[in-house]
Amino acid sequence: MNRSRWQSLKTSRSMKTSALRIATMASILAVVVALLAAVGVAARSPDPILSGGRFNQNQALPFSWRSGSVPPLAYQVPIVAAAADVTITRYSQAATFSYVAGAPNLIGYGTLASCGVQGLACFTRNAPTGFTIWMREQGHRFDWGSLRWCQAYATWPAGCYDVENILLDEFGHVEILNHHANLADGADYIDAVVQALSRTKPTAGWNAHAFGRCDVASLQLQYDMQGWGAKYSTCLSLSTTLGLTASPTAIAKGGASTLTASLKVADVASYVRLALNPVALRTVILQRRPAGTTAWSTVGTMANGATSGTYTMSLSLQARTEFRALFVRPLDEGLLASTSATVVVAVSP
Amino acid sequence: MLEPRWLRWIGPGVIAVLAVGSVASTTLGAGPHPWVPRACGIESGGPAAAARAQGPAGLDDLHQEAWFRLDASLDRTGALEGQRLALGVDGNRSSGVMDLPPESFAAGPFGRIVLIGADDGMVSRLEAIDVARECSWAVAEVADVVRRATIDSALGTIYETRVDRATRADLGVWARPLDGSSPAVLVLEPMDPDDRFGRTWTTEFAWDVSGRVLAVQSCGEAACRTRVIDPAGGLPRFLAEPDLGAMIGLDGDLVVTYAACSGFPCPILAVDLRTGTRRILAEAGAVAVVIPTADGPRVVHEVLTESGLALRAIALDGSFISDLGRMPDGARLVATPNAAGSSTRVPPGWVALGPSGRLPADGPNAQTKLRHVPDGITVQLDEVAR
Repeated sequence: MNRSRWQSLKTSRSMKTSALRIATMASILAVVVALLAAVGVAARSPDPILSGGRFNQNQALPFSWRSGSVPPLAYQVPIVAAAADVTITRYSQAATFSYVAGAPNLIGYGTLASCGVQGLACFTRNAPTGFTIWMREQGHRFDWGSLRWCQAYATWPAGCYDVENILLDEFGHVEILNHHANLADGADYIDAVVQALSRTKPTAGWNAHAFGRCDVASLQLQYDMQGWGAKYSTCLSLSTTLGLTASPTAIAKGGASTLTASLKVADVASYVRLALNPVALRTVILQRRPAGTTAWSTVGTMANGATSGTYTMSLSLQARTEFRALFVRPLDEGLLASTSATVVVAVSP
Repeated sequence: MLEPRWLRWIGPGVIAVLAVGSVASTTLGAGPHPWVPRACGIESGGPAAAARAQGPAGLDDLHQEAWFRLDASLDRTGALEGQRLALGVDGNRSSGVMDLPPESFAAGPFGRIVLIGADDGMVSRLEAIDVARECSWAVAEVADVVRRATIDSALGTIYETRVDRATRADLGVWARPLDGSSPAVLVLEPMDPDDRFGRTWTTEFAWDVSGRVLAVQSCGEAACRTRVIDPAGGLPRFLAEPDLGAMIGLDGDLVVTYAACSGFPCPILAVDLRTGTRRILAEAGAVAVVIPTADGPRVVHEVLTESGLALRAIALDGSFISDLGRMPDGARLVATPNAAGSSTRVPPGWVALGPSGRLPADGPNAQTKLRHVPDGITVQLDEVAR
């Protein structure tokens, strides 16, 4: 469920090439914002992070089974699947996990030497050196009853915990993610797999096999994007900056000037690794107005420039003209709108 | 009074003290052997006297100190089919092994006693084992499920946490005299449900450094609520903050606790029960204990470093930070008995280190060390206990 949700967010939208479409989008956005305000939904936030630092970007973290505490085969398969889920759904340069026989990072099953008394599983992370994970045994007795892993049954019973979901949560912890802070009504539970209260079949989110958008948001903040054109999680609300230059800034009548916009994530300390990132392959609109007037008209969508995060358009001009660039807040990612300063191109007769 | 009850146990409801067929040797000094403790006679002075046995004042007193370790026994599919309890004394390599049912626990040592609880699906039974004298007392039978129990050595009282057998609903904390002279009474009501903590996963006991104040901690999947009672009198005090996790220890009004983490590293905090004031003792701690020392209580905790685990000590007011050096390879700090499923009493100012943070199943060996706070001197437990 989470995977499809995130994939739908990630799906690249077609470039908007007309002012009408931009206006429509802006109207929809306004309605959405108004609805959200009307129902009193507070802002979602990225998962908090754990102490202990980060692993290296894209660091490969191979794991193997702890000798004497090897998980049964029925659980090995979903553990390995959870590791693959990390790679597929991290949408960042977070560390990756894979099973490699003899690898130093150990995953154990059964008696939990360092896990404490409660919970389904636990981890020790020692970034960037390595990690361990333990998962509790099927049938472990808690006050509420006996632990049931779904994979222990041919037909998964209600009330069981999905090994793949729980191990994805643990791998998320190993990366750096702390438990997600849910809204008071819990409506955003499926925004994160890394949760303080795990869910059992068939409660919503019990079998999520992809990081939720607020897991991804935190991974992006800590480990950065996979590319400048990659989408930012919708759990983020990152301010952007849009610069605009003209070259040349003075031309003869009928001559051409090239306008170049530069779109970046704003330089804010809380954006961690995302601050000042070039933002490429988005839709940046160029607007113009005759010098001395107030009404802007849209020229069109600027083309992607040679440098990541730049957008260009060349125009021939008959008179002194003012320009500005616009980046409209996308609905499918967590970037905020920005508008450039006004640039003037002088035209001599 | 206890003898007839003990005799009743020689039936289908016995605490599943079954022979272990896979043990190679039963010769004393040659490792663990299946063990069925005999009933203690009057010469032992009763369980209350055994529970009052003083803790070791120094390393020379360790030879008769009891130890235990509890391990899950799994079937071929990896499902819990029971628990295996190993017991012994530090100065003797001989150890006994008892097989317990899946719903069981061990606690202590309290004086010479290791307290075990076992539930056969019909009734929960508590048994106090005098490890050094290799005998036991049957101390309680309860129709509800007794999840955990502890002993107030000073007052000779057993405290139990119970859940309903059918619904697993919390039934509160009960107390009974260790000598069985009167029935159990409810001393703490069941914990009220609270969505911030979720359903209760475990309820654990812990005594403060002085041994006079008892904490009862009910944990959800990550966060915990703590009630502190003074058996000598006074109202319970309550700590319920959803960002706080499992308790490490207690010193009077100061609760030393992890944040609500599900792994390590994890912040360690001291919370004042009277004022709610918090002090962060470690931003990134790992396994930790609270111990008495000549200079006052200390939190001793692991630190994860690039070169491995190290040990650090700090006073509960954040002062007297001391580096206790690197941990031996493969060793970890032996945590609280609840967390480690393993314990032995050590003299004030010492902590135990063991393979994977536990005492070995066949008793203290070359890998079991004691480290002194604050100078970091390390000794081998099985050598000093001889």
